[in-house]
Amino acid sequence: MTVHLAGRELRTDPRAAWRALRREVTGMPRALKAWLAFLLVLCLIGAVGALLSLPPGWEVLGTSPSFEWGILITAYVFFAITTSGLCLASSLGTVFGIEMFLPLEKRHAVLALLCLITAFGVIALDLHHPVRLVLGAVLSPSPFSPMWWMGVFYGIYLVFLMVEVWSIFAGHWEIHRAACVLSSITAVVAPTTLGAVFAVLGARPFWHGAFTPPAMVTMALLSGTALLGIVFYLVVRLRLAGHERALTLAIPAIRLLLTITLVVTALVVAWQILFGLYGIIPGLADATTAILVGPLAIQFWVLRVGVGLAVPLALLLLPRTRTPRGLFATCCLIFVGILADRAIFVSAGQIVPGTAVAGVVSTPFAEYGPTLVEIGIVLGAFGFLGLAYTLVEMYLPMGEHLGHLAGVFLGTSQPAGTSAQEVTAPVPVSSPIPPAPRPAPLTDGAGGVS
Amino acid sequence: MSETGMAGDTAQGAGPMTLSRRRILQLGLAAVPAACGARLLAGALASTDGAARAAEPAPDAPPYDPAAHEWSFVIDTTTCIGCGRCVEACKLENHVPEDDELNRTWVELHVVADDGTVTVTSPEGGRFGFPAEDAAVPASIREAYFVPRTCMQCENPPCTWVCPVSATFRTEDGVVLVDEKRCIGCGYCLVACPYGARYMVPAGETTPKGVAGIVDKCTFCYHRITRGMLPACAEVCPVNARIFGDLNDSASAVSVALAEKRVRVMKPGLGTKPRVYYTGLEGEVE
Repeated sequence: MTVHLAGRELRTDPRAAWRALRREVTGMPRALKAWLAFLLVLCLIGAVGALLSLPPGWEVLGTSPSFEWGILITAYVFFAITTSGLCLASSLGTVFGIEMFLPLEKRHAVLALLCLITAFGVIALDLHHPVRLVLGAVLSPSPFSPMWWMGVFYGIYLVFLMVEVWSIFAGHWEIHRAACVLSSITAVVAPTTLGAVFAVLGARPFWHGAFTPPAMVTMALLSGTALLGIVFYLVVRLRLAGHERALTLAIPAIRLLLTITLVVTALVVAWQILFGLYGIIPGLADATTAILVGPLAIQFWVLRVGVGLAVPLALLLLPRTRTPRGLFATCCLIFVGILADRAIFVSAGQIVPGTAVAGVVSTPFAEYGPTLVEIGIVLGAFGFLGLAYTLVEMYLPMGEHLGHLAGVFLGTSQPAGTSAQEVTAPVPVSSPIPPAPRPAPLTDGAGGVS
Repeated sequence: MSETGMAGDTAQGAGPMTLSRRRILQLGLAAVPAACGARLLAGALASTDGAARAAEPAPDAPPYDPAAHEWSFVIDTTTCIGCGRCVEACKLENHVPEDDELNRTWVELHVVADDGTVTVTSPEGGRFGFPAEDAAVPASIREAYFVPRTCMQCENPPCTWVCPVSATFRTEDGVVLVDEKRCIGCGYCLVACPYGARYMVPAGETTPKGVAGIVDKCTFCYHRITRGMLPACAEVCPVNARIFGDLNDSASAVSVALAEKRVRVMKPGLGTKPRVYYTGLEGEVE
């Protein structure tokens, strides 16, 4: 039996599939093989961690009643805001029709979908009864709970993203346009509800307040844009499909967006700390102390401020580093900074419990250290994201489609397929990792090429 | 048996009430568990065993009407001697894990130095009293007292508001419970509780109903109070520091205590409206 996927004919009987897989791997460049092997090892580590954390083995986590949300919640928040940020960044092109942001679209959609799936996977491993969540959210909903709303909006976002990805590859532009608009709206709402999960907790002064949800959106935009920057640099560097427009349009667009978002983020971080320093809110001053001179100080000053804000801002502004390579370094640093920022955020809300918890007095600070299992799960999450996206980049037509240039996003759409085409760059001889042979492009019902 | 009657019975053996807090500290705190000793502990065990047997509903007992009750605690910090019997009784009665860091109820020792610095300790949740060698006693003490802690059974509980699947809820008679078949173990209620009253049941342990991986908390011993009994902690308290009863009954011990004594609640500024009241607290206790 055979199935057709992305223009390829795939055999389903195990022997034929194994032979095909071996052929595929044998034909790969060495660097690609090494990259895939690295990602597979990460996935394997994550899988082992996931198996160990499954009930009834949840004591392998390093959390305690005093510090209930650990590195898995940090990773979930990180992936959840990144998926939203990817959509927000690209919505400037897909929704508002700003041309320089248009090349971000296809890759953002795939990345956003994969990030969201990764986020769901991580949170499922942190929950002790994830199946009950799915059933309970429907059968016994709790509209007063921000977490319930977060689930609703991220669930809706998942559906919109799936439609967006499907329609972009299938060439259904009208559906695609609607999906883009809807997913962009939910990409704003979802991280605000994620922020509200923390913001409504009066018992946690560092998280509490109306400031947290918009701050979460800011971090989302920065994180998503940074990930796009990393991917588009690699597209240019490896001369993958659409690399010419990536160089001329996408990279300047990402640089512009990063500069604005980084400045806003720096202000958000600064004000958050300044509010805490005033010290009139019990618990907030202690949490701020923990960040500035306490157990979180190294993370904050080195990773958050230095690596995540100051150096990237300098790289963006200095003329010598305003290159694709400079942008790549900037994005990597920002990515590390955001990950540290989310870890600081999750920790700072709990590090000063404000009371004894279940009989344990934590003075002056509650302690938490992630276990190897937790670290393994997080590494596995990054491995899964990297592996899934690499495979997508290898086997799906990722070149920019021109449906939007036909006016789809500007309200002057033409019949589907009449002008949309795949822009696929030739693979130069000098490419360090030439892509796998391109599959035949997908065709829609009208004979157009998507 | 009325609530007043039950509380009165418990108070009858309250010999150690004449000890002052400062005197207890001067004696090195070890005197407390020594005074209570094995006899009291044995009494606690016997009491909870007996309570468990008595928890079987009487065949002719009238059905319990939640709407007719409004349960509450008044905790008297001026009489608590920090013996830890309440903690032990709770562990036995409610299958609370042996882990010292997981408790439904616990006792804290608050020591206020002359400069106003407050030192809070709760070795093993206060389960075995407060041995002198564990106590961080400042050179000059202005005040010292024991503070028994438990779920505040808030009238406006943040834990129930945030639960995404409505697994934690407040009953008509004013007790916050966890539906063990619905709880997903996300820990959101645990993080939301300003009083640290919840914990996650760890691996290898279950709730009294045999469920693993969910949140557990004080229920005022709901299985007991709905059968006309006292919570285990109140039942074993040798000095009647935990006064339990029905606010709907003006003659109940808790109603009388609220009418006669000056009480405080913890963290009133959060608007949670706790239903556990404290007497003898002069300053803010968090």
